Amino acid sequence: MGFVIKPNINSSSFHLSGRSFFIRRRQKKKKKKTRRGEMAEDQKKKSCRFWIWALSSVVFRLILISFPGNLNLSSRPEVSTPLTSIRRLAEGYWLKQASMSPYAGSMYHGSPLLLSVLGPLTVQRIKGQPSHLLCSLVFVIADILSAMLLRGIGKKLQMAYGLNARLLGLLKSSRDKGILPCGDIAALVYLWNPFTIVSCVGLSTSPIENLAVILALFGAVTRRVPLAAFGLVIATHLSLYPATLTIPIVIILGYGLDAPPIKLFLQTRSVENEESSTPTVSKQPKLKQTTRLPFLWKTVAHFLFWVLLWSLCVLVLCAFSLNKYGGLDEMFKRTYGFILSIEDLSPNIGVFWYFFAEVFDFFRNFFLIVFHVNILFMLLPLAIRLKHRPCFLAFIYLAISSILKSYPSVGDSSLYLSLWALFVNELVDMKFSFFLFCGYLGISLLSPVMHNLWIWRGTGNANFYFGNAIGYACFQIVFVVESVSAMLNHDRALKRCINTNHGEVKN
Amino acid sequence: MAADNRYEEEEEVRTDDGSPITKPRPIVRLGIFLVAHSPVFSVVFSAAGVLALLLLPLLAKNTYISENALMPGSARSMLSNRDASDGSKLVKDIKNFRLNHEGQGVEVQRLIGKYMSEMVAEVYYQKFQPEGNQFHPLHFFSGPASYTLLGNVSCASYGVNVVGIIRAPRGDGKESIVLVTPYDFINGGDYEDLSLGIVSSLFSLLSRVTWLSKDIIWLVADSRYGDYRPVAAWLAEYHTPSFKVSDLLKCDELNTADNFRRAGTVAAALILKVDGRSERFEDILSIYADASNGQMPNLDLINVVNYLAVHRQGFHVKVEKVVSLLSSSWLKIVGEIFEAVGKVANTLNPDWKFGIPAAEYIEGSATLASSLYSQALGIPTGPHGAFRDYQVDAITLKISPGFPPDSKARQHDFFLRGSQLLEGTIRSVNNLLEKFHQSFFLYVLTSPSKFISVGVYMIAFALLVASLPMVAASLYVDGCKALTKSTHNSAENFKSWKWLDAAKQVFALHLLGFIVTLLPYFICQVPGQHSPRNRSIMWGTTSSLLLVTFVTIPGCSPFSSRLHGTNWAILKSVTISAAFIGLCLMSIINFATAEIGALLLVPTCLLAQPIKPALRSRRVKSLLGAFCSMVLVTIGFPVIFFAITKGLVGEGLVGLSLGGEFWTWLESLWAWKSATYLYIGMVHLPCWLLCVCILFHPS
Repeated sequence: MGFVIKPNINSSSFHLSGRSFFIRRRQKKKKKKTRRGEMAEDQKKKSCRFWIWALSSVVFRLILISFPGNLNLSSRPEVSTPLTSIRRLAEGYWLKQASMSPYAGSMYHGSPLLLSVLGPLTVQRIKGQPSHLLCSLVFVIADILSAMLLRGIGKKLQMAYGLNARLLGLLKSSRDKGILPCGDIAALVYLWNPFTIVSCVGLSTSPIENLAVILALFGAVTRRVPLAAFGLVIATHLSLYPATLTIPIVIILGYGLDAPPIKLFLQTRSVENEESSTPTVSKQPKLKQTTRLPFLWKTVAHFLFWVLLWSLCVLVLCAFSLNKYGGLDEMFKRTYGFILSIEDLSPNIGVFWYFFAEVFDFFRNFFLIVFHVNILFMLLPLAIRLKHRPCFLAFIYLAISSILKSYPSVGDSSLYLSLWALFVNELVDMKFSFFLFCGYLGISLLSPVMHNLWIWRGTGNANFYFGNAIGYACFQIVFVVESVSAMLNHDRALKRCINTNHGEVKN
Repeated sequence: MAADNRYEEEEEVRTDDGSPITKPRPIVRLGIFLVAHSPVFSVVFSAAGVLALLLLPLLAKNTYISENALMPGSARSMLSNRDASDGSKLVKDIKNFRLNHEGQGVEVQRLIGKYMSEMVAEVYYQKFQPEGNQFHPLHFFSGPASYTLLGNVSCASYGVNVVGIIRAPRGDGKESIVLVTPYDFINGGDYEDLSLGIVSSLFSLLSRVTWLSKDIIWLVADSRYGDYRPVAAWLAEYHTPSFKVSDLLKCDELNTADNFRRAGTVAAALILKVDGRSERFEDILSIYADASNGQMPNLDLINVVNYLAVHRQGFHVKVEKVVSLLSSSWLKIVGEIFEAVGKVANTLNPDWKFGIPAAEYIEGSATLASSLYSQALGIPTGPHGAFRDYQVDAITLKISPGFPPDSKARQHDFFLRGSQLLEGTIRSVNNLLEKFHQSFFLYVLTSPSKFISVGVYMIAFALLVASLPMVAASLYVDGCKALTKSTHNSAENFKSWKWLDAAKQVFALHLLGFIVTLLPYFICQVPGQHSPRNRSIMWGTTSSLLLVTFVTIPGCSPFSSRLHGTNWAILKSVTISAAFIGLCLMSIINFATAEIGALLLVPTCLLAQPIKPALRSRRVKSLLGAFCSMVLVTIGFPVIFFAITKGLVGEGLVGLSLGGEFWTWLESLWAWKSATYLYIGMVHLPCWLLCVCILFHPS
């Protein structure tokens, strides 16, 4: 296994710990002052460029929205699933206006709250404009908000990365030079990802689901506990699967942000101690105490309290809005029940529809359990292995649930791809990047062709489209596996270079 | 394949780092071996691909009826002389009518309608408008419902179809079979009348029979504006009823409002044309089957018609072939070699039925070439193409009678045989309980009774493109190594992301290709009448202007790569990957286009190398390589390739007239919704440009 050692780690002049570090720093300070102006300018330029790109992505979306017929994207199975389709939402709203249960006729399967928010927009028209305009604008705003929140998360993560690197003595300056602005990158990846654009223009509600997920993560990263709880509750309410994010959010709130394993810090510190002063016996117990980080029970309890409160709110609101049509029972049956029992077998980019169309009826329940437990099985091992990197853990959970979801769409991939971009600093050495890129590109171009062959031309059959879905799932799996292994390799590389540094120091 | 290769490539990267590596799995080692020796293997694979293409006529299988329910020819024909004389009577009446009434009007339609209603059929008339050339290449992806009525309706030019429906006594009105006879009501020739005669004989029989379980629709299509348009217009109205009253209805005394009848889903359609006299004494039946984008009807339909025509009615059946290939000497040599090899194989083991006679091989390849050509163009070869848009299997039967039109005695016999053929086919289709699904949809014909299925012809294509991912992987590895060496510190940070710059360039050029593809839409909107030549000049200038702007914009220009230190190996690797993805996509949309495109694009991409170092080194081998790549790049330019193919056919074109011809050709492609146009604009052209960039790369 070859790890690429970071250049700044590799050079021997690099290890500057303790006093020597400070001396050099002082010497450099003069130089720095002159450099500071340049750097500020550079930063300004960078952020200016970021805003230009972000704005242009919004303009691009607006142009696409103004096309007549909306490019027919909203009827693509890749974009809108039974859960996220705006057409179904409009239907549900219409049913509700006609004093019927919005869930009548198995058309709508989303949340009743979304219905009350987005429903009126599907009916309202501005004169002379296409009917979908208001909804599209809402989705565009949701996308922008998500991008900004991602940027906020990225800034925090970047700061944490710089801090950790300095603590480990791997970064010479206090400036975060050489660290990529992962927040900007993630925001731009989110805004310019064709998947995001397609699901925004294609009028699926996934931008709003994504916004809720990102909101939860943002709240956790910035330690705004009520916000995190709110995002989590809403995201879970909208699409159930983000419930898995409870684990990473609790870890973030309990242990803090992503950091290299705690062992490394201990190692560095012990070396520092050896170097700076004669090791005294009295210091040993102190070190032992810090081998475990304190878990902030209070914050977590706070968080759980807020989660309870917000879920209560959501449930009460739902009950109010559905009290004539069967109440919460009906809602759970028609939303979560629909997700879990995979009633709709119309084709999508997942692998479930084909399987459950083929499976014998008496095995159906068994396989439903097997397929859903798949996600649950992976939660715990991953949480144990990646507990020092909770944000990354959240990314992995989201990626896995988007592979094993019952009704996946490209909107889900857009979410985890942009979260992935938050870790560009750690994942620079990820393998297969070009191969994965080609794979995602090929699959996403192939998918409409296969669909066309099957549905319109009649020369293909369901296997064609399903083969494409399998290919997509495979690429996603390779992507997740490679990301995790790159992250673990990064940790190992850190450990190794700390060891070599120490070796040099001893010599 | 691609996946494996990439694996190996990364595997190699790993071993380069010098870290201990456990023994890789055999498949991984095989991959590493392939990538490491990619030049040899790419030559081998490409040669094998071309060889497999040449072998295809040998590998053709005999057709067979796959669907048991069809049972062609198992029932005795019920057609009597009385029915045939009914047909003769209609033909005679029409002829007389024409002699007496010259000029316009819908009188002939009325006459045919009268005949139909005498045969207890429901009759109605449908008006339609000829459609101008419209730019809709992207309509390939949308359904057929995108047909829209033109806003400005003029009564000056419109056609009138006559449709008669016989309701099936044993049917529930949910399924139907369509018979189409294209007929020019104004100046139809004597031979065209014969097709009406055949179908009216059949119609007179079908109105009496008790076995019919699918309704029969007879559409007499007004072929004044081409064969395709009236059928497409009728189908559009049949499948997508519009609730807007068209202005066309008010045009004439003939009231066609509110009487459009339907008869359930169409199970199959047969288009009958009688056309010109055959050069032989016997009657010749030609089968046309290619619909838009190389789609074919179910093979069973062709099989049934072929079986009945050959074994029951004694027609000489043929499919189209490239005549010039029949006399080509190199094909003869190839055929003789294959024949000799087959004989040798036969002596070794008599069970090996490998060889076919050289003459048969030539015949097969000429037919195969014609099939590939018409599929690659993506333009339907007749009105049957309109049916394919609605997933209906349809073929055109063109009969060339072996007698002059005024020979009464043979005409009667001709009607009898023609309508017996149709009767047998309809009886077979009538037996079906479900749609045609049993036999193949993806095939090419090498003779009326021989076909090559998708599983066989894909091998040739796969071998041809298999070298692309291999070479891409090995170039990627080389490029990464070179880059790490040249720029030590700054680039190492992004070890696995070095391809991003190259990808940006490739993306920029593909974007340019996309814009160039859409340009004709705007050029068509330019007010005023322009000749195709002027339009092509406009297109050329705007495209080259765009290219120049693209090149001058820093960042996306392929020539600014010195700034980023991108070396050509990575650029070539990304280019090859893009070409690979594009070709694979196209092979699923339209195999023939992808095959021909791969024959052009694969060697161009593989041989493209910067010529500067080759010129500097002055070695024969590298100079030869540079020369080859220059020649390939020159041929690969679509316009020049077009000129060369035209030249081979025998129409030498030079200068500006070439541009006009090219424009007209492309116009026909997009007017017929051919995906080939998209392929040329969005895959071939960008990859060609990238190859040019690599050729002149400042390395």
